[in-house]
Amino acid sequence: MSNNATPSRNNLGFLTVSDSPDQGLIGGYLVLNPAGRPLEFHCTAPVRPNRAQEILYGPTLRPYLYGEQIGRALLERSATPPLLVFTDVEPALAARDVVPIPVVFVVPEEEQQRESGNRFRLDAAHSGPPQACWPSLHRFTVGPRKLGVWPAHRQDEQEVIEHWQPHAESFDLTEPFGRIREAIEEARRTAR
Amino acid sequence: MPDAELVSEPTELVPEDLRDHLIRVAQGELSVPSPAVRSWDVNVPVSIFATGWAALLNRSPKIQVKRVVTEQPKPGVASVRLRRQPVKIQSFTFPESPAWQASPPRQAQEDEKKEGREPATGKAHTRIAPPGDVIKLQDRLYYVLQPSLESLVASNSLHFPFDPFPYQLQGIAFLYPRFSAILADEMGLGKTMQAISTIRLLLCAGELQRVLLVCPKPLVSNWRREFALWAPEIPVAVIEGDQARRQWQWRDLQVAVRIANYELLIRDRDLVNDPQSHFDLMVLDEAQRIKNRSSTTSQVVRQVPRTRSWAMTGTPVENSPDDLVGIFDFLSRGYLSPGMKPRAMARATSDYILRRTKDMVLTDMPPKLFRDADLELTPEQAETYRAAEDQGVLQLEGMGTAITIQHVFELVLRLKQICNFDPVTGASSKLERMEADMEEVAASGQKAIVFSQWVQSLARLRERLGRFGTLEYHGQIPAREREQVIDRFKNDPSKHAILMSYGAGSVGLNLQFCRYVFLFDRWWNPAIEDQAINRAHRIGVAGSVTVTRMLTLGTIEERIHQILEEKRELFDTIFSENKLPSSVGLSQDEIFGLFQLRSPQGPIRKTA
Repeated sequence: MSNNATPSRNNLGFLTVSDSPDQGLIGGYLVLNPAGRPLEFHCTAPVRPNRAQEILYGPTLRPYLYGEQIGRALLERSATPPLLVFTDVEPALAARDVVPIPVVFVVPEEEQQRESGNRFRLDAAHSGPPQACWPSLHRFTVGPRKLGVWPAHRQDEQEVIEHWQPHAESFDLTEPFGRIREAIEEARRTAR
Repeated sequence: MPDAELVSEPTELVPEDLRDHLIRVAQGELSVPSPAVRSWDVNVPVSIFATGWAALLNRSPKIQVKRVVTEQPKPGVASVRLRRQPVKIQSFTFPESPAWQASPPRQAQEDEKKEGREPATGKAHTRIAPPGDVIKLQDRLYYVLQPSLESLVASNSLHFPFDPFPYQLQGIAFLYPRFSAILADEMGLGKTMQAISTIRLLLCAGELQRVLLVCPKPLVSNWRREFALWAPEIPVAVIEGDQARRQWQWRDLQVAVRIANYELLIRDRDLVNDPQSHFDLMVLDEAQRIKNRSSTTSQVVRQVPRTRSWAMTGTPVENSPDDLVGIFDFLSRGYLSPGMKPRAMARATSDYILRRTKDMVLTDMPPKLFRDADLELTPEQAETYRAAEDQGVLQLEGMGTAITIQHVFELVLRLKQICNFDPVTGASSKLERMEADMEEVAASGQKAIVFSQWVQSLARLRERLGRFGTLEYHGQIPAREREQVIDRFKNDPSKHAILMSYGAGSVGLNLQFCRYVFLFDRWWNPAIEDQAINRAHRIGVAGSVTVTRMLTLGTIEERIHQILEEKRELFDTIFSENKLPSSVGLSQDEIFGLFQLRSPQGPIRKTA
């Protein structure tokens, strides 16, 4: 994706990374037209961090791998720059630092339900995994869906709302990620 | 030298007096006694032995100087390069069809609200799975990456008059990518809707331009109605009229979908087989029509130039697994061969056939209640029946080796007719039961369908059931009037019964407003009976459907019933791989066996 390329009027990008214990990280990037039809699909070969990266990047390793390495490579390969790029893996938001398109996190359905007040705690939560070592999301709501960008790119919010608001009610933002995962699985099956 | 006395008498000093004593010494009042000195001669003679060491003792010691560098050494540096590693990427691009335009989003939203539907967020997703015979990854991904069908329905880019059932979306996902397919759902599950919706999606995606749909003549108007309901934007032409008109219709390029009946297809075979009139898709409805591979119908449909071939039938196997071979000859000639074992056939065809039953997919559909009316013949009927059977069997016995299956068949038909009505007196135990049941049906404001094999029996029924507002729908009713008959039956509250022949009324009609079905006599094939029952028990049925199967005890009907049950087992074997069939249908021996006769060469005996 060249920086000079003009974004297509309504195309949308969907970026995800699947973490396979036996293979490593596989990134998938799907470009859809406004009707949800596929225009482009790109997927990476498995990416594994080396030991030095694991030690030296420490807690910033995931944003580096998901966003700067995989996300950037996939978005740069695309021939049709989309209006917005959605992702369902938060560390992939790091791609925004290296591409000129808003990269938006789609808050998962379960989390969204938790936040909407359907569940209440009566006691202290179990201690969970260590807190993520990346900036807290700047969250906002468009239609029925909660979205987020990294605080460093909070100015993207207005652009996202402007472009996405008209489609927000009729387009299920979580659905294309399922397609990407199935396509990655299909590619893996074929490669075997 | 100090005084010796002082030495011998040392002054005793006490600490408190020390200061005074020192002052007095300093002032000279006291003198300090000198210490006594004694000397001793210590000059001890020493002998020196010649050891040779003396020279060494005189030699100067040798001094070695070691240089110590005090400057710090340069530390070693190990560098780890953290450059970006190149990521290998596989890329695929797909053509964008201009037909796929998003609808105005605001409008979509309003429509959703108007119809009270929820936006399709967080719902299940039915995706198009590539069939096994699509090899290339790019092609497989094209299907995998298509939007889920729920998304299409919800996005309003295509309007659906009703939300399809999940299994119907699965049917569409099955048909969409397939170039050869059999949709074999049980009657009443909406095969028509699934086929039309898939055709619509493929047309919108630009994958189809010319479609030919072939169905039995009585179903043409039904298909036209269903297209108008489910795909109103698709131009549809029914091939009909004189030859000149049909010629023009076959060649008209403006029409996407053509509907023709089987008989007409045979008549226009030269026009259809013109290589220039290639079809992107050919769909056969009630495809069991081509189960006989040598029939003219089968030969003609196989010759139609086409890219995709779909067959639709609720009964892909009626009598023998070879029925399926006939249908596959249309899909992919030679893929199956006659005589294949059912299990092998099931394995070979599993990726091409989709069959669901109501029990499988409509668990919340109102039940179908069977009520077998086992009736005794009236005395008049019994007398006539016994006479006819005795006489018939005697005649068959008398024919010796000249006996044919046709002879036996004629006797069967004659006896079955007597089971319906006594030909002399018109007495009928079935009719008596029918009248009683119809009283109840009409009194409760319900409607019933009565099926018979014979128009003659239906005519007798009409005479006696006329007071229930009885209508008729069979081969003797002109095709142009049939639709009106159905409309009247549906909309006129005084019409409580419709008399139908299995041939005319068992397929393609939607009569789900009926709560009662009567099988006045039994057909030769259970699949046909199921089709008949499913005119009423189908999607949209408001409540349970009661099916009354009439059967006269101790007659040929009871024996045929046993064979029908065996046929059901055969069907289950092909489509569930549960068990091997005990029979492959109504064979010649079985027909002879109805009277405990044996083949022409064997002994012939009258049934007990």
